[in-house]
Amino acid sequence: MATTARSGGNASGSSAQRPNGTQQNKNCQFKLVLLGESAVGKSSLVLRFVKGQFHEYQESTIGAAFLTQTLCIEDTVVKFEIWDTAGQERYHSLAPMYYRGAQAAIVVYDIQNQDSFQRAKTWVKELHKQASPNIVIALAGNKADLSNIRVVEYEEAKQYAEENGLLFMETSAKTGMNVNDIFLAIAKKLPKNDGANNQGAPAGRRLNDNENNRQTNNCCK
Amino acid sequence: MHQSKSKPESRLAAITFFAKTHPGDVCGSNGLPLTPNSIAILGRAQKLKELKHPHLCQYLDFVRGKHERTIVVSEYFGTTLQDKSRSVLIEPLVVRIFYQIVCALKALTEHNLVVHNLEPKHVLLDDCDNVKLFNYGLYHMTRCGDYVPFPIGNVRYMSPERFLGSKNNIKSDIWSLGMIVAELLLQTKFWPNLKISNIARKILSFCQTNNVFERIAREHNCLERYEQINGELRILIENCLSVTPAKRPLPTDLFTHEVFSKDIEAYAYTEPPKPTILLYRCPLEQIYYWWQLAGGDVQGELKKEGLIRSEAPILAIPQLVCLNGKIVGPKRSQSYLMDDRVVPLKLNNLYEKLCNQPAMAYFPLIHSPKFPHNFGAGMEQLPLVIRERDIEYQFYRVRLFSRLLKGYPYTSEMIRKEAAKDIPPYLRGPIWSCLLDVIPIGSYGKIDKFTPTSTDRQIEVDIPRCHQYDELLSSPEGHCKLKRLLKAWVTAHPQYVYWQGLDSLTAPFLYLNFNNEELAFLSLYKFIPKYLQWFFLKDNSAIIKEYLSKFSQLTAFHEPLLAKHLASINFIPELFAIPWFLTMFSHVFPLHKIMHLWDKLMLGDSSYPLYIGIAILKQLKNTLLASGFNECILLFSDLPDIVMESCVFESQKMYECTPKSVSHRFHVLRETPLTEFDLTPDVTLSHLQAEMCPRISANDFTSLLHYAPTDMCALDLRSAVEFSHVRVPHSINVPFVAAQLAEPRLDALGVSQLVEMLQGRIVICMSNKHEHEFSKFLVECGVQRVCVLHKGFNILHTIEPNILISN
Ligand SMILES: Nc1nc2c(ncn2[C@@H]2O[C@H](COP(=O)(O)OP(=O)(O)OP(=O)(O)O)[C@@H](O)[C@H]2O)c(=O)[nH]1
Ligand SMILES: [Mg+2]
Repeated sequence: MATTARSGGNASGSSAQRPNGTQQNKNCQFKLVLLGESAVGKSSLVLRFVKGQFHEYQESTIGAAFLTQTLCIEDTVVKFEIWDTAGQERYHSLAPMYYRGAQAAIVVYDIQNQDSFQRAKTWVKELHKQASPNIVIALAGNKADLSNIRVVEYEEAKQYAEENGLLFMETSAKTGMNVNDIFLAIAKKLPKNDGANNQGAPAGRRLNDNENNRQTNNCCK
Repeated sequence: MHQSKSKPESRLAAITFFAKTHPGDVCGSNGLPLTPNSIAILGRAQKLKELKHPHLCQYLDFVRGKHERTIVVSEYFGTTLQDKSRSVLIEPLVVRIFYQIVCALKALTEHNLVVHNLEPKHVLLDDCDNVKLFNYGLYHMTRCGDYVPFPIGNVRYMSPERFLGSKNNIKSDIWSLGMIVAELLLQTKFWPNLKISNIARKILSFCQTNNVFERIAREHNCLERYEQINGELRILIENCLSVTPAKRPLPTDLFTHEVFSKDIEAYAYTEPPKPTILLYRCPLEQIYYWWQLAGGDVQGELKKEGLIRSEAPILAIPQLVCLNGKIVGPKRSQSYLMDDRVVPLKLNNLYEKLCNQPAMAYFPLIHSPKFPHNFGAGMEQLPLVIRERDIEYQFYRVRLFSRLLKGYPYTSEMIRKEAAKDIPPYLRGPIWSCLLDVIPIGSYGKIDKFTPTSTDRQIEVDIPRCHQYDELLSSPEGHCKLKRLLKAWVTAHPQYVYWQGLDSLTAPFLYLNFNNEELAFLSLYKFIPKYLQWFFLKDNSAIIKEYLSKFSQLTAFHEPLLAKHLASINFIPELFAIPWFLTMFSHVFPLHKIMHLWDKLMLGDSSYPLYIGIAILKQLKNTLLASGFNECILLFSDLPDIVMESCVFESQKMYECTPKSVSHRFHVLRETPLTEFDLTPDVTLSHLQAEMCPRISANDFTSLLHYAPTDMCALDLRSAVEFSHVRVPHSINVPFVAAQLAEPRLDALGVSQLVEMLQGRIVICMSNKHEHEFSKFLVECGVQRVCVLHKGFNILHTIEPNILISN
């Protein structure tokens, strides 16, 4: 199976949004949100996935950051629109704005931090309750490069993931281990043949349902 | 006052050494690279700059070079004791030197510092035979030598216990002092021909000796001279050279000792004559700053002296790299060895640049109109970057502000006025604190910064991610300080909580006041209520929502087409502007940009940041207008290079031309209460969110009408009949007809030359209904500066004196 990560950033741009049958390949875009305790490595995972880089002094995230990346699975081009959220509990009230309408979520914890694993479980619960029912959730045990000082056992997390129907991988944004793989696994699990995901509305539209929306949609022509 | 034309002798010097390099790929327990030792040194060394004492050479700067090189710049002048003692020194002079070194040690103990490298080379004497210690901070800055690959201290003057690993005891310095003075009194250098290892053995052998001084004298055939030494003095030296540290006197004991007090006049510091060169009357740290602006380059000076040698990198390539990261290859070259030469920094260049400056420029008289102090006049027009690097201009500014700061708080107004021109980077920290009305009262020391709290984890994970490209902020010392500041702020504000971002907000203040945590704290303490009132409440959603809605309105006010576009693609500020405002841009820009941004921010009120936000949008306008939602949001996830100077210029312009009530927010720290002619609290968040254009108060409306009628254009939307009864002078009647608003075209209104009449003016829509609909229409037509009269036309009836014309 040919799977390549295409450089995303802003380059892949608008053409992928309106695949009005002009392209041979199927085009899908999915909105994906990253959730998890602060400093578990959400931003680092996204940076690794989107730019192949790792910054040891990755800045903390305030509010949220948005990035895109495209993957090819067989004949399908999958574009992820990724919302990387702030981890501090206080920013919690913003989270629904980002996971509402998301088709996929990666809930991240840090394998050397037990609290972050508990926090991940509460995120999963919240997603099951509040997010769209078909959402594909992956659990990522990040900082796997530090597995010699881990406190969250692989088996424990694996079992939890199975019980809750989550994809699960241990990842390392530092070494790149399993980073592309977890996004790929999500991409594979997402439905790609119904029309729902490739109707060409930019992802931002789906944020419409927040109450700040001051006017009716003036769809750009 | 005339300046003598004598050439300046040097007052500054640099030394250099290498910090220990971390081996290969070693990581900390968090899996991330270790902080380089040179950075750790830099952080620790900062506090040394604060030591200003007549018997201590002032530290001025610490610079990191390549490959963990550390360069220390400090005061240096006169003769070393090493040189001076080549000829015999008379006993009173020796006692004087003894006493003054004691004074220096006493000052250092007061700061919990030990020297541990005290030797004659590090004792300087000026023309009046005043002593100044040099290089006394090496042990401290290298954390007891941990950060450097070489041992600290000259074996010859090292106390026995130091050989055995004892550290951090000032008594070890007392031993060194004893040895220095003993050499001077016996007029001989001890063990001139012994190898280092033998000297060490010798000193350790003293452990069996009762009277070290006597034994040394005997060994050097100086017993006669030893016996001639004044008895009291001799005993004092013997005490200093006690093998047991506990038996040695403390600097404070020595300080008050009879040997000195009986003729203290002869031994105490002699005030040297005032330097004839005016430049030398300025603080040394200013001289050094200007020296750099005048082209001084420490690394260059060291290169000239052969202390920094560059070698072909190919010579350093390893021959073998093992998989575990071990490197086999050429040894570090000779140029990496410790070389303790002192390189004087020549001041000629600087002197030549400044010697023709009038005395008044050195010491501006700020209160006498007869003596103007605007020396840099005319240069304000130059670009800021040029002014900041111009030696003469910075000389004027630094001198002027030094004077003004001394007079604070009485000079507040003048500081504000001068700061509006520009802020000299050298004094930015204290100037900002004045602009924020900070008055240090010693309260910081009393705040608990240590008791563990539930926010500690968040603070601890945020600090290592906060402006870590900066050497100071990434040093362990910087981390400790930032943590203390954040904890202190949280403790001092029980009503608030730590939000991620507070770290970034604090960083600029720490960066500027690294050695003055209290000033950093108080600046932050004042800054937050001024610009971010209630942002740090546990539930701040009402405040943020109001802020962002106002931001949208002001964007529509100044950039209607952009606002229209952004609204149409649903690019709402909630998605990108929270980090901007919560951190006043300190999370999105590097420090050097924040400096220039905040220089202006500090002079504005709580609405200023909103204009900065708009200025950023404006700078990216073309890209934004051509982009859809995804491209726009991507642009802000990785904010492109914003040109600060134009950003600041634009925000200033908008700030100045916007009536205050237009930027009104309910959630601000208010000094004067609102009246019925201001924006009243009945304007709620839902109004803000529903209305595209901001409201203007009746107060602002009338003052525009009175003082700047040509800056405004009032559009009266009432019917022609109502208008003919009563109206505002010069207002234009555009009776509201909903049908005209179907298409965003101004000519549909049927008012001739409307575009021209609105151009460049504040457009105020007045009615008792429909004004919001209408104003939105104007925005969509691209009309700038549209606002709506709060409380409608009817409010104008109640204004006294009457402003209306009626028929
Ligand atoms: N050793 C190791 N460190 C990592 C890894 N991923 C991230 N880090 C480090 O962990 C810290 C936090 O990473 P971030 O990506 O900022 O964490 P975050 O989850 O985005 O945090 P918030 O933005 O506060 O929610 C950074 O210093 C990273 O360098 C990893 O896989 N291994
Ligand atoms: Mg993050």
